[in-house]
Amino acid sequence: MPTQRFLIDRYDPADDRAYEQEFSVDYEPGQTVLDCLNIIRWEQDGTLSLRMSCRHAICGSCAVKINGRSGLACQTQVPAAADRGDPIRIGPQGNQTVIKDLVVDSHKFMEQFERAETWLQPHEGQEPPVREYRQDKDEFDHWQHASTCIHCGACYSDCTVAAVDPKFLGPAALAKAYRFVMDSRDSRKQERLEALSRMHGGIWDCTRCFMCVEACPKDVLPMDAIMELRTEAIQAGVTNNHGTRHHKAFAGGVAKRGRLDEATLPILSAGFGPGAIPEMLGYTPGAIRMLKSRKLIAAARRHGASKEGRREIRRLFDEVADEKHHHDVNREAFGTQYAEALRT
Amino acid sequence: MLQHDVLIVGSGLAGMRAALEVSQDPGIDVAILTKVHPLRSHSGAAQGGIAASLGNSSDDDSWELHMYDTVKGGDFLVDQNAAEILGREAPENIFELEHMGCAFSRMDDGRIAQRRFGGHTAPRAVYAADRTGHALLTVLFEQLLKRGVKVYSEWYALDLVIRDNTCQGLVAYDILSGGIEAIQAKAVMFATGGYGRTFRITTNAFASTGDGVVMAYRAGIPLQDMEFVQFHPTGLQGSGILLSEAARGEGAHLVNAQGKRFMEDYAPGRMELAPRDIVARAEQSEIDAGRGVTEKGDSVFMDLRPIGEQRIRYALPSVMHLARDFVGLDPIQDPIPIQPTAHYSMGGIPCDVDGQVRLKDQDDAPITGFYAAGECSCVSVHGANRLGTNSLLEAVVFGRRTGRAIRDQVRDLAPTSISEGEMQPAVAEVDRFIRGDGSESVGAIRADLRDVMMDKCGVFREAGQLQECLSDVKDLQARFAKSRIDDRGTIFNTDLLDAIELGHMLEFSEVITVGAINRTESRGGHARRDYPTRDDEQWFKHTLAYRDDDGPRLTYSAVNMAPRHREAYPPEERKY
Repeated sequence: MPTQRFLIDRYDPADDRAYEQEFSVDYEPGQTVLDCLNIIRWEQDGTLSLRMSCRHAICGSCAVKINGRSGLACQTQVPAAADRGDPIRIGPQGNQTVIKDLVVDSHKFMEQFERAETWLQPHEGQEPPVREYRQDKDEFDHWQHASTCIHCGACYSDCTVAAVDPKFLGPAALAKAYRFVMDSRDSRKQERLEALSRMHGGIWDCTRCFMCVEACPKDVLPMDAIMELRTEAIQAGVTNNHGTRHHKAFAGGVAKRGRLDEATLPILSAGFGPGAIPEMLGYTPGAIRMLKSRKLIAAARRHGASKEGRREIRRLFDEVADEKHHHDVNREAFGTQYAEALRT
Repeated sequence: MLQHDVLIVGSGLAGMRAALEVSQDPGIDVAILTKVHPLRSHSGAAQGGIAASLGNSSDDDSWELHMYDTVKGGDFLVDQNAAEILGREAPENIFELEHMGCAFSRMDDGRIAQRRFGGHTAPRAVYAADRTGHALLTVLFEQLLKRGVKVYSEWYALDLVIRDNTCQGLVAYDILSGGIEAIQAKAVMFATGGYGRTFRITTNAFASTGDGVVMAYRAGIPLQDMEFVQFHPTGLQGSGILLSEAARGEGAHLVNAQGKRFMEDYAPGRMELAPRDIVARAEQSEIDAGRGVTEKGDSVFMDLRPIGEQRIRYALPSVMHLARDFVGLDPIQDPIPIQPTAHYSMGGIPCDVDGQVRLKDQDDAPITGFYAAGECSCVSVHGANRLGTNSLLEAVVFGRRTGRAIRDQVRDLAPTSISEGEMQPAVAEVDRFIRGDGSESVGAIRADLRDVMMDKCGVFREAGQLQECLSDVKDLQARFAKSRIDDRGTIFNTDLLDAIELGHMLEFSEVITVGAINRTESRGGHARRDYPTRDDEQWFKHTLAYRDDDGPRLTYSAVNMAPRHREAYPPEERKY
C-alpha cells in the first residue's frame, strides 16, 4: 500500500485559529484525494470538515485547492497530485470566506446566478407548443458545453478578477448566462446582452487569464463563453458601453498607428454619454502621475510604427481574424477534445 | 419557533418539482429543507435518461406499452394504478420540463432525441447526453430561483413529529450554527432519497443514507418492501461508481473472461438490454463461476468499442471521462471492468398516487399532513425491480402530483404545534455525541456494516447468510450505542452528521434483512438461492414493517390491480 503525506489548511471557527496540519495516509492504488481525506476523517481526525457527496464529479461539492489550484478532490488521483515525495497541499477554495477547514461560504458565488437571471425567460403572452419546441441540433450542440456546469465554484475560486472585484459575476454565472443568450427558447437575448454589457461585473470585466478554463472539471469553457458573449453583444448592436468602446479604441488604435495610444484610449473608452465626465475626472490622478513620469507626453507625441511595421501589424490582424474562425470551427468539430487539450 | 404552511424535506427532483407546484399559489408559504445545497442532490447523478412514450424515435410506442414494461420489469409487484399514471403522465411532464428550458439532446429535425434502455420495448429514454439527471436538477433549481422559493440549505432533519396520526412538523439541525429548531408545518413532504449507502459497493452518494425513511419508521409509520434493493449491472470495479446503462443502450457488450457475450445464456431475446436485476445476476453468476476478469476476478468487462469513437464522444462523454478519471482506461480503446453495485431502493414510505402517506393497513389510514415522493417513497410503481429511466420519471410525475395535492389540501389542514417534550428525542440524539464518552469508532462500524450487507444481503441471498447478517447488524447496533465522535464543535460538524446517518443506516439495514429473511421466494431485486422461483400463491403481496421494541414486525398488503383506463396485466412468467 503506498503512503502519501497531506498538508491541510485547517481553520477552527470556535477560537478563530488557522493552522496547517500534516497527515500521512496509506491508500490503495486507484483511490482519489477525496478517498484520502475521508481516511483522515474516519480513521485519524474526525474534526476535519469538508463538503462531499457523489464522489464521481457530478454534484460539485468537493472543490478545494489542491497544491494551490482549484479542482474536485474526488476527481483527482493521488499520484497525479503528488510531486517528488512532497506532501499534497489541500486548502479551501479562494475568493470566499472560510467557515471551517475546507468548507467555504458559497453564498457569494451562488448569488451571481441570481444577478445574471440564469433561468429561461419564455416568450410572454405566447402559449408554448403542445409538444416540445423544435430546437436546431446544431444550435444545441453549439451551446451545450455551457450547460454541463456543476456549480462547484472551482472557476470562481481561481478567478483573478473575482479576487479583486466582489461584484464580478464570475466565470460560471457568465457561462450560464451565455447558455440562455444562445438558447432559441429564450425571449430576452437582446435585454440579456445589454444588461451583461452594461452592469458592473459583466462580460467586459473578464481579463481573459484562462484560469477558469483550466480549473473547470467539466467541459464548460467559461472564458470562451464570455468571449462569445462579447461578440454576440457587438453583433447585436450593444456597443454603447465602456467595454466595447475600450475594445474598439484599443484594437483600432493599434491597427491604425501600429501602437497603443494611451492618451486617447481613456477618452474614447469613456465615450460621450452623461457618465463620461465623471469617468474622465476619475482618470485625472492617474493621468497626472503619467504626466509626471513623462509617459503621457511620449504617448501624446504619437510615435507611430514605420510603414512596414504597420503593414506587418495589419497582416497580423488579418491572421488573427482568420484564427478566430478556425478556433470556432475547431471547437465544434472536436468538442470535448478541445476542452481537454486546453486543460492539459 | 419556525413555521411554514408547507415544508418539503429534500431538494432533488421530487422535492423541487413539488415545491414548484405548491409555489404556484402565492398564498401558500412553502419552504424546502435540505442537508446539501439543492444542486448537490443525488438526482443530479442520474445519467442515461427519463422515460416517456413520446414516440419520437419509433412509431410503436404508447403509454400502455410503457405501463406493461414497468409492471413486468417490476416482476408484477407493481401497483398497477401507479404504473398506469406513470405511463400516461410521462409525456406531458417531459414537455413541461422542455418548456422550462431543460437541455435535452435533439434529433436532426429538432425534436427531443430518444434512445433504447433495458426492459423497455421501444426507444423511450429522453436524454441529455449522459447527464440527464444533472440537466433536470439544474432546470428545476433555475425555476425555484426564479420564483424565490425559500430554501433551508444545509439544514439536517432530525425528527418527524406525528401526534394522533397527524403530522406536526419537524425538528431540524442548522449545520452552519449547530442550533436545533422545531419547524411547524401543516404539511410536511419527504423527498429524502434512497438508502443504498449501506452496501460496500454502491453508486449512491454519501448523502443517500435513508434519513427520511428512518424518521418515518421511528414516528410509527411502517416501511414497505424494503428488502427490494436494485443492484445496477455496471458499476466501475472497486468503487461501484455508475457507468450509465445508456452505454448498453447505445450498443456496448458485456463479456466474461473467456471473451463470451454471456447474456446469450441468460436473456437471449434482449441480451445486454434485459432489466437490471437479470443482468446483475448474470454477471454475479459468471463471477461466482470463476469467469470474472481482473486480478480479483470480481468483475466482467463492458466493451464500448462496438459503439464507435464518434458516438461515444457525442452521446457518452461522462462514461468516457469516468472510466478515464477513475480506472485510468479509455473506453474508445479498452474494455472496462464493471461489477454489480447497489443502486436503487425500491422500498420506502408507503403512500398513494398523490403522495399521501398511508398505513396501507385494513383501513388504509392516512397520516394527515404527511406526504412523500421519489426514492424515499413506495407508491409502489417499481414493484420488485425498477426499470432504468423510470426513477427520474417517478420523481417528476409523483413530485408534481404530490405538490398539487398539497396545494389543494393545505388550506383545510389545521394549525399544528410541537411541544418541548416532542423536541427531546432529537436534542438527546445530538447531545449523546457532543457530550458522550463512548469508545467505538463510527468509521469502523460503518465499514463493517457495509461489508456485512454487501456480502450477506447482496445480489444473491440465502437463509443462513441472512440470519448471520441480522445478528451482525444487531451486534453493530450494540457497538453503535457505545460510539463516540471526535468533533465536539457546533459549526459545520460533519463528524456528528456522519454518526447520526450511521444510526439511520443501522436501523433500516435491519428492516431490509428481516424482510429478506421472511420472503421465501425470488422476485425482481430479491433473489434467494434457496428459493429460486417466484411464488405468487404465497408472496404476491407487499411487505410492511412496523417498528417494535424488539425489531421490525411484519405485515403484508395486497398489490393494486385496479388501473382506471384499462384492464390490469395479470402476473405471467417473466422471460426476456
